[in-house]
Amino acid sequence: MKPKSQVNHLLRTLIFLSVLALFASACGGSTSSSTTSDDADSTTTDTVDDSATGDDAMEDEDAMDDAETEAEDTSDASDGDRTEVRWFVGLGTGSQDEQIDRQDAVVDAFNSSQDSIELVVEYIDNTTAKDVLATQIAAGNAPDIIGPVGLEGSNAFAGQYADLEPLIAAAEFDLSPFAGSEESYRTAEGALEGVPFATFPSGIFFNKDLFDEAGLPYPPAEYNADGTSLYGEGTEYEGDWTYDKLAEIAAILSVDAAGNDATSAAYDKANVVQFGFAHQWTSNPASLGTSFGAGRIEQADGSAQVPAEWVESYKWYQNLVHEVNAAPNSAQTASDLLAGNAFNSGNVAMASTHLWYTCCIADVGDAWDIGALPTHNGTLVSKLHGDTFRIHKDSENQQDAFTVLEYFFGDGALDLLDVYGGMPARPDIRDTYFAALDEQFPQGVNWDIIIEGLEYADSPNHQTGMPNFLEADARVKELEGPLLEDPDFDIDAAIAALEADLNALWAS
Amino acid sequence: MASVTAALRAKEPKRTFAELDVDAKRFLAKSTVTLFATMLVVGFLLPLVFMVVTSLKTEQQIASQTILPKSTTTVDVTEGEFAGEAYDLYAVPFDDGAIRSLALVTKGREASTFIDPAEPTVPIEWEGRWRTLEPALVFDPTLENFPEAWDALDFLLVLRNTGIIAGLGMAGTVMASTLVAYGLSRFRMPAKKFILSSLLATIILPGFVTLVPTYAVWLKVGWVGTWWPLIVPHFFGNAYNVFLLRQFFLGIPRDLDEAAAIDGASPLRTLITVILPQAKGAVLAVSLFHFFFSWNDFLGPLIYLAGERSKQPISVALYDFLGLYDTAIPLVQAGAMLSMAVPILVFLFLQKIFLGGIDLSGSLK
Amino acid sequence: MTIVFTGPDDREADGSTHRPLDGHGTLEKRERRWGLMFVTPWLLGLVLLFVIPLVLSLLMSFTNYELVDTDNQEVTWVGLDNWRRIFSDPDVANGLWVTMKFALMYLPISTLLPLGVAYLLTSERLWGRSLFRVLFYLPSMVPLVAAMIIWRFYLNSESGWFARLLRWVGFDPPNFLGDPAWVLPALILIGTWGIGNGIIIFIAALNGVPKELYEAARIDGANKWHLFRDVTWPMISPITFYNIIVTLVGLGQYFLVPFILNGAEGRPEGASKFYTMVFFQETFSFFQAGYGAALAWAMFIVVFALTVLLFWSAKFWVHYEFEER
Repeated sequence: MKPKSQVNHLLRTLIFLSVLALFASACGGSTSSSTTSDDADSTTTDTVDDSATGDDAMEDEDAMDDAETEAEDTSDASDGDRTEVRWFVGLGTGSQDEQIDRQDAVVDAFNSSQDSIELVVEYIDNTTAKDVLATQIAAGNAPDIIGPVGLEGSNAFAGQYADLEPLIAAAEFDLSPFAGSEESYRTAEGALEGVPFATFPSGIFFNKDLFDEAGLPYPPAEYNADGTSLYGEGTEYEGDWTYDKLAEIAAILSVDAAGNDATSAAYDKANVVQFGFAHQWTSNPASLGTSFGAGRIEQADGSAQVPAEWVESYKWYQNLVHEVNAAPNSAQTASDLLAGNAFNSGNVAMASTHLWYTCCIADVGDAWDIGALPTHNGTLVSKLHGDTFRIHKDSENQQDAFTVLEYFFGDGALDLLDVYGGMPARPDIRDTYFAALDEQFPQGVNWDIIIEGLEYADSPNHQTGMPNFLEADARVKELEGPLLEDPDFDIDAAIAALEADLNALWAS
Repeated sequence: MASVTAALRAKEPKRTFAELDVDAKRFLAKSTVTLFATMLVVGFLLPLVFMVVTSLKTEQQIASQTILPKSTTTVDVTEGEFAGEAYDLYAVPFDDGAIRSLALVTKGREASTFIDPAEPTVPIEWEGRWRTLEPALVFDPTLENFPEAWDALDFLLVLRNTGIIAGLGMAGTVMASTLVAYGLSRFRMPAKKFILSSLLATIILPGFVTLVPTYAVWLKVGWVGTWWPLIVPHFFGNAYNVFLLRQFFLGIPRDLDEAAAIDGASPLRTLITVILPQAKGAVLAVSLFHFFFSWNDFLGPLIYLAGERSKQPISVALYDFLGLYDTAIPLVQAGAMLSMAVPILVFLFLQKIFLGGIDLSGSLK
Repeated sequence: MTIVFTGPDDREADGSTHRPLDGHGTLEKRERRWGLMFVTPWLLGLVLLFVIPLVLSLLMSFTNYELVDTDNQEVTWVGLDNWRRIFSDPDVANGLWVTMKFALMYLPISTLLPLGVAYLLTSERLWGRSLFRVLFYLPSMVPLVAAMIIWRFYLNSESGWFARLLRWVGFDPPNFLGDPAWVLPALILIGTWGIGNGIIIFIAALNGVPKELYEAARIDGANKWHLFRDVTWPMISPITFYNIIVTLVGLGQYFLVPFILNGAEGRPEGASKFYTMVFFQETFSFFQAGYGAALAWAMFIVVFALTVLLFWSAKFWVHYEFEER
């Protein structure tokens, strides 16, 4: 080796080491920022007042150093010898305003139930939660507990979660009520990263008033043994409850300002005042596609291929939105008529969505019920969401964090499930759960049909991960916009481009 | 306007435009230009009107898609088979040409049932489409969105946070920028050109380049999650402010500070006793600019105060608020209105400073 | 680089260097010491907040550093990989194209519109000039997020007032923020709310043109267009130049408006995915901070080069009354 290149090599190594040192300290540093938000808040305010009298930046920095120690002191003092466990809410449901107070109550209940752990909760708005969590993790400031989080939020942070199995063993936590469903949280490497907490099967939410006004029979209230169902038995509308049937009914339920429905030649597409159907917050490509048939884009050989049923479902919905105009496009969904929450406006007759939608349905009053999902090619797919709580791998208090989880799965379970609108993953507490829901929605909602949907859950689940998840997922989701916005969107071409892009991404 | 032209016409009824005297011509020209400017400004500010009007609506009024906040008149029915509920009133035309104000009790596609509020026990079958009927609308604005947005934003807390961040930063930037500007306007020093260029370079530099490393530095100091990363940098001065203050200082005659120097005052003393009193306007302008910068600053607080809800300033709080309530359109408009109240008021009171034509180029004064 | 800061007043400042030195070297030294002391905060800040992060960012661009490690990969030195990737990344090409299209549309508007309004607002034929100035400046005071809340709903193609207005005059409104062909024009429209400062500066510039020049030109028989071309335009060209620089610098950092309205993925179909958003998505959505650093640095280099180019071009079209050196 020539001397010159050795010098170069040395230089390179030095620079690299200094960068690494910085990153390492970046990731490992920041031990002082984990005071409870209230404590930190008040102490910082105090220091701000102090330092406001300071003359220049240097004095401020001194004041700041004081602030740091002060903050630590106070947090120690107020927490006593309790271990602090930080809980991050926002990747999934949970950070809506009306949910916050009720979760606070659960936190208070937990904190007063024992005296060794201080549970501290952070609510982050869903739109920024992913970036915030990323920043916290990058800062070496990761929370201990993350959740509720679905598969999708989990995929985005793959490799960041702790294996719960040692904790489960140490705490002698009984997994038997979960009847093996926890296996769906096992990673390819064999780690058990979650225990099922809430499940959200899906169904067709429908507005009874709008069906009555049109003189139409309601969607079927039960499934046959094979998952099919019959619509409008004994009426002129009788037929198998398929997506085609649903489209036919949806057209009748779509009305313009003059009272013409979408089957009429006079139907004015520019002046629709009521829509027949909407994929309520479930129109992302994987979810929409899975309504016609479960599948995956990643094939066994590692190549990308969008399942044929998915493509059919896109074309079906595109037709319904842009040709028939029986479902709202994105501008219509955002308009004053539907205000971003289509079914809740009372101007949409049917919505395909999950049980969590009970969160946001107040404006429809008691006019809604749940009916059967239609079939495609004779198969029924009831898309399933599952939420859980996870523990970050870098948490220094994993044992204590798991103690909190035990509370969430035990005494706190029903309260939290109620907050999230999620059905208990443990079958043994479901009855209690639905009894509480019946008090909230006294019209007598057909919960049975949504529970029955569990037997037809999508497998593989539509939120299953894929390689290069973040980039691949972002690329797949690019389909949704034009599907809902562009009447001339060429689905076949877009799918071909998507497959090519994914193949390129996965090959690299 | 009409009465004015009428008056003109009464005065000189028979003259054509060409014959109009100079005053009248100028008057017409002024009217035309002013009318044009008015139309332009109305178009320009229409989104603000939209915000105000929308913030006065209820969510039901939003869905009914009227431009102004209007509600349908409802009738409470207390007897008969439809008792116990409120029904909307419509103007219903009948074959005999009569139009009656009736309450719609059962909706149907081609025929519906109405009742006369005076005779609620007698259902009236009406052939036709109820959607084509005129609903009985009344102007009915609501103020309820404002207290709700106030609470949801936790407005006072957010205001306090913004005030502290803006206030301290303001103190820092005024102090540092004044010193630097004074140094650059009055003293010979090595590498002055370089310093001036470096100021300019920081203006050109996209903030993203330094975003991640700066974050790492603050993290190392342990200040992520506190207000300090949003405050401390301003104690090093800001290029725009330095240029602005320097321009003002250059305009202050040197004789004054030379006189002070002869009296034995140190340069710092000269700055405080001679220069600053003359540059009050510029200092106030710099303070205000920083206030508005702080009020608007979004990416900084978003990143450094992530998760610290109780420390967030108005910009990030409003963004979170939008995320949480974007299905409640009137509420978010009310929130937007709250958030701009302070800046707009400050502006209206101190408009001279903003409209005085402050520029950094120095090419005109 | 300093040319824009060289005006009549600056001459006085430079004049200080021409002051006859009194021969006292100590006095000169003392002055230097005081001067350096006063600029110390800036020099400190320059090193701490700009130079160090810039160098770190450059170093980072040669690594595969991830903001959040999702694949258990060690941070390693990857040489020029990130920089090479910039040239083959279709997102970057799209981002540049979007940014360029936007800049080409926005630069003339951000110059001509404030100039036009300033012309109107300095017209002697306008009643209530000061009121109009307040009203035209008002939107500049609206906080950015609040403005986005307003525009997002105002531009809805179904129920927004802008669409209603267009329908009222007989146009079929497009889906402004959802149609790839319309999203940039919509962003330009939103951008018109930021012309307040430009208007004020142009008003000051127009008022600063000496009246005698107009009189003289008028005596020579110049018409209105000639007046503008031969008198007004050269006289306000330094301000126009300044305004263009400010706009260009702003364009290089243009991010928040499309980000808040259409997300980091630049809906619809990437039509509002500016170069800055490619950076943001790579760094904060995909956690590829090393590649992000390369993207940010590349952006810096380009904006810097453009600014230098513009300063160079100023020689040919910016008229400095007090040309010197």
